[in-house]
Amino acid sequence: MGNVIKKLVIGLVVGGVLVGVTRSLEFPVVFQMMFFAYAMLGAVVFMMLDAPTLKPMTGVKSLIVLVAFYLVICTAFISGASMWPQYDPEDEKGKIDKILKPKRAATELGKAEELIARAKALDEQAKALAVRLKALGADQPAKDQGAGTAASPVTGGAATGDVMKVGEEQWQLQECYNCHKLKGEGGKKRGPELDNIGSYLTIEEIKQKVLDPKSFMAEGFEKEYEKGKMPDKYKDLMEEADVIALASWLNTFKNTAVNTPKPIKKK
Amino acid sequence: MKTWRRSLVAACALLALFGGAAYAQAPGVPSVEFPYTGNRTAVWIVAQLHILFAGFILGAPIFVVISEWLGYRKQDPRYDRLAKEVTKVTVILYSMTALTGGLFIFVLLATYPQFTTWLINHFYLVFAVIYPLLFISETILLYMYFYTWDSWKGEKKARHIALGVLLNLIGTITLFVIDGPTSFMNTPVKAEGISPQEYLATASLWDKIFNYSWMPLNLHRLVGNVTFGGFVAGLIAAYMYMGAKKEEERAYYDWMGFVGNLIGVGALLFLPFMGYLLAYELCDYDASICPYMMADQLSMFFEMQGAMIGLIFLASNYYIWLSMKRIEGVEKVRMTILAPIVMVVLPLVMTKVMTDYPVPDPTSLAFLLPLLLAPFLIGRFIPLTVSARTVIKVGFLMVVVGDAIWLTPHGFVPTGAKLVAELELPSDWNFLALMPAKNSAAFTLVFVTVVNYVIYNRAIGQGTIVWGKIDFVSQFVLVFLAFSAIWTMGLMGAVRSLLRKYYHTYNLLPDFTAESFTPTLSYSAWWITAITVVFYAVVSFAILVTLRPSDSKGHAPEGSPVPAGAK
Repeated sequence: MGNVIKKLVIGLVVGGVLVGVTRSLEFPVVFQMMFFAYAMLGAVVFMMLDAPTLKPMTGVKSLIVLVAFYLVICTAFISGASMWPQYDPEDEKGKIDKILKPKRAATELGKAEELIARAKALDEQAKALAVRLKALGADQPAKDQGAGTAASPVTGGAATGDVMKVGEEQWQLQECYNCHKLKGEGGKKRGPELDNIGSYLTIEEIKQKVLDPKSFMAEGFEKEYEKGKMPDKYKDLMEEADVIALASWLNTFKNTAVNTPKPIKKK
Repeated sequence: MKTWRRSLVAACALLALFGGAAYAQAPGVPSVEFPYTGNRTAVWIVAQLHILFAGFILGAPIFVVISEWLGYRKQDPRYDRLAKEVTKVTVILYSMTALTGGLFIFVLLATYPQFTTWLINHFYLVFAVIYPLLFISETILLYMYFYTWDSWKGEKKARHIALGVLLNLIGTITLFVIDGPTSFMNTPVKAEGISPQEYLATASLWDKIFNYSWMPLNLHRLVGNVTFGGFVAGLIAAYMYMGAKKEEERAYYDWMGFVGNLIGVGALLFLPFMGYLLAYELCDYDASICPYMMADQLSMFFEMQGAMIGLIFLASNYYIWLSMKRIEGVEKVRMTILAPIVMVVLPLVMTKVMTDYPVPDPTSLAFLLPLLLAPFLIGRFIPLTVSARTVIKVGFLMVVVGDAIWLTPHGFVPTGAKLVAELELPSDWNFLALMPAKNSAAFTLVFVTVVNYVIYNRAIGQGTIVWGKIDFVSQFVLVFLAFSAIWTMGLMGAVRSLLRKYYHTYNLLPDFTAESFTPTLSYSAWWITAITVVFYAVVSFAILVTLRPSDSKGHAPEGSPVPAGAK
């Protein structure tokens, strides 16, 4: 028992010192707690090193202890894994739907599903019209039709807004933020910061870079360029309209205060 | 189980394979919906169980043959008995491998018929000809190896060992062949400027097999299987030790546990580097895989992996500590003071060196090799020494420090997109979350373990091992090591599979089902634990039915205080 108390006290002291030091170094609280946990882990390890010898067990007693041991391990592993921050699959489901939608539509199954969906929509429209005709009389549908036609035209401004929205959405869907920093977010220095890319490249050139990563090389990223860090897969993964939308959106970034490296044309 | 029954199981598995290929030809086959688990988890469970059994039956024969050869060379019957007992369990689990393999194909065909058809068509020669032939050859060789054990002894022993070597050769080829389609799903063939579909249409079977991750996966699985086999041998020994009624039986199973752990740990030392090589190749194939693993959806899976490997290293070193306690005269063993000094400075120096000269720059070796070898090369010329007990305790401290470095994340968030300052490492300390620091942590764990074994080796050279008198808690350590190794295999198997994201075959064949998202770590942990428990239950049953009856037959007495030199 003396061994346990001694190691526990040492663990608490070391843990306390680690918390104090990490706090003074402005580590967030969660990291301070983590360092305290490491100190306690160390204390447990040293308690076990100097623990008294366990006498051999036999028969049912050893079986019961073994089963209990398994239960403890299973609980520890499941709860240990559950204590880490958990990724929410809902965040990804919408993304996957959007990315795979055009690919699914291109398959036989997708075409069949689209036809069924269209037939269902037409059927519902027909039913709705029949109900209206019945309720309002014969002259009403003509007015409705006219109203519907007047509401449908899309303005040029709205279309541009849509393209920008699609471009930003593609940035998120293709997870460009994992390598490139933009608006101060994302990036792990794998790729250049892009806040001023619009000052260097046209929409067409950005599109070319996305579809063929070897077409331009950012200054200072020679090693990454040689290694082919930027995946050469977006020509197969993305629809052309989406690439144009992404390029158009990126082209609007002309923040000269940010040191976006100059792209050098290679092809 | 009788031979004909085993053969029947193997035939069923082959029937499933060929039947599967035939079934796969049927156009427009609808998929089934597994209740409760869903299709993906159903495939996951069966596939992982199959891989665990397959991993054991491929890994165990490697050290079985080594053990048999050691027994022959040293004329020590304990090695031969160990080899034979593990082979008995392997034979039972071989049937389970075939059974779960057949089940895997049935479940895969029922749940993902279009994808399975597509994959079989691309690897038809592998699935329909090469793999079945290798499987049949391995079945014949394994049963020959087992049933000739008693008749091919004495002068014929060398012939028996050669048969075992051939068995391992076929087993390794089988592993390499089936890794072809497996690795292809992660890193299908590609070429610059051509779409993957176009290139695939012209690629040969060899192009498809010899993809980016094929050889790293082969090496990783080969070493992993030996580790796994060693730890399961330790598990067998622990069970038998717990059930042993005679002193000589305890002495033998104490020895067997030690050898199993030694092999398991010996192979484990290479495993982090094999894993690193695989991850490196995957990132080289497609740089977007890297953030997905380390900074995005799977980052916490790697935190859990770090925790598991840390625990495994702690447990294996604790087992060495307990083993040392049963050596009479261990207190006289001393070691150069350089050993604990290198242990303490290693994480710091290595992080600095690998930051300045990142992998694969060989300049780092010019600094690190002299540091790592210093205790062994120049230690003898330095008069200052410390006791073995002190060195091991410093080692434990550094294992905890190594674990801490390995586990420290860049941020306590499941994905980089959710990173905020309150959950992120201060920028000055961000190096703790980068690869040089993680590599230094892995090296520290490996270095400490190697030093501990060097000390153990010195201890047995100077003292006497009292086999059978080890602290009983060591048997739980062996059980823990096997369970943790299997659990980690399950975790990393899930990671490798999830790296394909929402594709059956990365960037080639999308998975349009609603289950193609990344599951949570917690959900995965529940299933990994369940799979491990099922595997454990089957292995425990196999140990019980194969080894318990042999109790009554009696064996040549081993154990009692044995001079260390006789080991």
